[in-house]
Amino acid sequence: MDRKKLYKGWEEQASKELRDKNLEDHFWETPEGIKVKPLYTEDDLQKISHEIGMPGLPPFTRGPRATMYTNRPWTIRQYAGFSTAEESNKFYKEGLKNGVMGLSVAFDLATHRGYDSDHPRVVADVGNAGVAIDSIEDMNLLFDGIPLDQMSVSMTMNGAVIPVLASFIASGEEQGCPREKLTGTIQNDILKEFMVRNTFIFPPKPSMRIVADIIEYTSKKMPKFNSISISGYHMQEAGANQVQELAYTLADGKEYIKSALERGLNIDEFAPRLSFFWSIGMNFFMEIAKMRAARYMWSKIVKEFKPKNDRSLALRTHCQTSGVSLMEQDAYNNIVRTTIEAMAAVMGGTQSLHTNSFDEALALPTKFSARIARNTQLIISEETGICNVIDPMAGSYYVESLTSSIVEESQKLISEIDEVGGMVKAIEMGIPKMRIEESSAKRQARVDSNEETIVGVNKYKPTEKQEINILSIDNEEVRKKQVSRLQKLKNSRDNKIVESFIEKIKNAASSDGNLLEICIEASKNRCTVGEMTSAMESVFGRHNLSTKTISGVYKNTVKNDGKIDIIDNELSKFVNKKGRRPRMLVVKMGQGGHDRGAKLIATAFSDLGFDVDIGPLFQTPEEAAKQAIENDAHVIGVSTLAAGHKTLVPLLMESLKNNEASYIKVICGGVIPPDDYPFLYDLGVSKVFGPGTNIQEAAIEIINLL
Amino acid sequence: MKLKSYLKLFKISNIDFSKEIGISSVSLSRYISGERLPEKKILNKIFKLTDGLVDANDFFLSSSPSQDLSEIHKEEIKKMVLNIREGKLKDLAKAITLVESSLKLHNAQADFLLSKLKQHKNSLRVGITGVPGVGKSTFIETFGMSLIDLGFKVAVLAIDPSSKRTGGSILGDKTRMMKLSVNKNAFIRPSPSQGNLGGVAKKTSESIRCLEEAGFNIIFIETMGVGQAETTVYDMVDIFLVLLLPSGGDELQGIKKGIIEMADVIIINKADGNLKNTAEITMLEYKNAQNMISNIREDISPEVFLCSSTESIGITKIWKFIKKFEKIRRDSGSFYKTRIQQQTKAIWRNIILQSQDYIENNLKYKDSVKKIIKDVEKNNFDVNNASKIIFDSILKRNT
Repeated sequence: MDRKKLYKGWEEQASKELRDKNLEDHFWETPEGIKVKPLYTEDDLQKISHEIGMPGLPPFTRGPRATMYTNRPWTIRQYAGFSTAEESNKFYKEGLKNGVMGLSVAFDLATHRGYDSDHPRVVADVGNAGVAIDSIEDMNLLFDGIPLDQMSVSMTMNGAVIPVLASFIASGEEQGCPREKLTGTIQNDILKEFMVRNTFIFPPKPSMRIVADIIEYTSKKMPKFNSISISGYHMQEAGANQVQELAYTLADGKEYIKSALERGLNIDEFAPRLSFFWSIGMNFFMEIAKMRAARYMWSKIVKEFKPKNDRSLALRTHCQTSGVSLMEQDAYNNIVRTTIEAMAAVMGGTQSLHTNSFDEALALPTKFSARIARNTQLIISEETGICNVIDPMAGSYYVESLTSSIVEESQKLISEIDEVGGMVKAIEMGIPKMRIEESSAKRQARVDSNEETIVGVNKYKPTEKQEINILSIDNEEVRKKQVSRLQKLKNSRDNKIVESFIEKIKNAASSDGNLLEICIEASKNRCTVGEMTSAMESVFGRHNLSTKTISGVYKNTVKNDGKIDIIDNELSKFVNKKGRRPRMLVVKMGQGGHDRGAKLIATAFSDLGFDVDIGPLFQTPEEAAKQAIENDAHVIGVSTLAAGHKTLVPLLMESLKNNEASYIKVICGGVIPPDDYPFLYDLGVSKVFGPGTNIQEAAIEIINLL
Repeated sequence: MKLKSYLKLFKISNIDFSKEIGISSVSLSRYISGERLPEKKILNKIFKLTDGLVDANDFFLSSSPSQDLSEIHKEEIKKMVLNIREGKLKDLAKAITLVESSLKLHNAQADFLLSKLKQHKNSLRVGITGVPGVGKSTFIETFGMSLIDLGFKVAVLAIDPSSKRTGGSILGDKTRMMKLSVNKNAFIRPSPSQGNLGGVAKKTSESIRCLEEAGFNIIFIETMGVGQAETTVYDMVDIFLVLLLPSGGDELQGIKKGIIEMADVIIINKADGNLKNTAEITMLEYKNAQNMISNIREDISPEVFLCSSTESIGITKIWKFIKKFEKIRRDSGSFYKTRIQQQTKAIWRNIILQSQDYIENNLKYKDSVKKIIKDVEKNNFDVNNASKIIFDSILKRNT
């Protein structure tokens, strides 16, 4: 953008109002590198590079449907999973009575990683962060009394996508709903798992083959089902800025198209069933512009593959308000944040929306918080009149300019991916992961140095503590229940048939049979999710991720307001006393793959002068203890998000004790309900840090602790 | 050095020594105990007889605050050594921390500990180097697991580069050695290098001895292949492995030429998928070049191998060669001879390190030295004379 004079008369007036301040200071650059002016005018509309067009018509910038919300508002779709199939079923039915229009299933971590509930590695993961599904029996309970021919079901599943989708299809048919009639979405977006979420099972190559198997099968047999939900959500959660989220998601989409075409499918057979999934954060106009830019760019991308049907060009999307924008401190503020984000999603033209509950920075939602989240959408939809006009933001000088800027900036990132030979290659090289972690560290540094305001966290902090009722889950109880149900299943089924299906799955995996097709039959014959997965694993292998980290970004971005000097001083005192720098092992135990927090802590603390060891993902407490002892760490930092802390931390403490290593201090950080703090302190945990902790202050506390 | 220590070290009796100087043994005892000070003539004799190790200061200055360990500390360390022999990870880890520490007390403890360790002639010390991304950790993971299957106990010392600016390190090696890191017959210890490569080398060779005491018989030392750490690591291992990527010469890969020339085994890693052909070409190139490189080892020539750690290709062949290498060199005696030469090198390396440490942390802060340097800055004094005077002060006492 050139800094040529804005409207002359205005500029004089503005300078007068600014008195001794400089107008130049009101030009700024967003973290995405987009230059923003204080005022936009008609002139800017002349300069935009994208096409605005009409809703329902290519390039679909204004929306995939001609009538948008005037005909039917977006689908209120609340993502939930409550440990057991029975509990979740109750929650869904409650939601359906109160305005929810589609189901969205969250699975527990053990299921995501393809382990049955009785597997020794998942002791702490069963029932955490979602529902445990071991077999078709659990699916039947999950959808008991919910007619699947009338209800669209969205499933967040990527790793164990074949056995889970197979069990769902099989369960539908046992309920009397033929597969052609099933509606909904399976996430099935494995590329972003390798990039940010880490809930993969197999190496990239066989994983991409599985995606293609599903696209192929659904395009032929399940015409109303979305075969994939190409997700940027988790990228933004992992710290990506909006341009990165957009660019990398579209690049993922391009890769999926290529692999489906390689399968011999016709672009128009599957492209209309590809859907997207965005995260909507607090950057209001940027989010709206992102969604509009996405639709424009996707239509251009798909066009290159020469579809005949215009519907192939239309991007349809689900949105969820941002989880990382939720704060533990002053948690009721989260209701307001979610409302603003939901507004942005609606102004951006989403097809369905999940609004987060305000207590999700602390725990899983309660009945009360889930109701407020739901009502947030109902109020926007039914009280504001927003739905009466299609794409009200179109033509806004600012929003259209921003849209163009986003298109241009994302195009640069997509070209970078194209140059190295596509997304699979780029992921192998670690390009997107590095860029996202860089953004994440920069953001944390801006918040820690108060350059970005978070009300109640780094500004206007509450003076009184609020009591918030939260939901607590007895994860051991859930596991016992699941294990006994599995036992019953294994005793009552015909194990010979099961074995024959295991063989068939192995054969299909090592040849080019469609894995989904064979697994549907296997599910009907009571093969478990774990059994089907390990049959495939015996052919594909299980993927291990080497953790790469960045360094220097945090330190370069953070402003030194004196805390850095305090830390340097404390550190040199420490070194003089102990003969080395404080050494911290950052661990992520259990099957949770979200490692944004752990990575951020690792890079920031090493920037601040700690020696930081990183543990592999999916560690058991025993393994973490061994690593801490071997490396002679002073302290273990446990990063936890998925409520596993109640099982994993006690096991870790015990393991340290058994090895006579209780001299190693343990601290916890992440999503931990304040009610659990006393429990952890009683175990001997030295300190618990919640979301929104200032890293420099935490560093000082930890040095003093040691 | 105190006269008492000198006599003990060189096993000379008081009577013999007193005869040599020409005094009574009673007088000598008084000098030793500090009851009396020797006169100038006697001091000169002692200085000459002891090759300068005992000089006047050793009599005039009361002993400096002793680095000697208390009995309690000694008992602790002795117990630690026993525990290490029993294979207790905790004590092994703590021992390495003592070795790596920058505290004087810890160093004294480490010295005492090392003096209690045995020589373990049967171990094999393997150096592995290569640029970041070449797949060292993955290679060690695959290779190490296959060695454990053969019944070995495997240890890995990984030297990480510390961030120069802030000093903190991120040590993520174990994320790339997932199976090895949880195996009870494996021990992996990544060490922050703290910017002092020579210093790390000293500490690393001491850590190796601790690991050997704990029964680890194959010890990998992993370095980055880009700096001077490799030459020092070379001087503490029995065999040196260099990992390369398929394609490109060594300069292209960013590895120093000198490092390739030290290799006993060159491994073209990641020879899988569509890199297989390139890897074979690279192997041939190195095989041809290798003929021209003069052999460092007199009894066996270096070899080049293809390897894929992910597809477990080449591991068996590499192990076979390493065994052959070891056998030939053990049989000829050169294996152990090299270790002895390495010890001599270690002595000089340590002396240089200590001198550097003395210069950086002591000499530079002496008032006299500061004054001399100021004079040079003001052109009142020339550089040669200044260096000579300062160096003379090193030759005298440090205390």
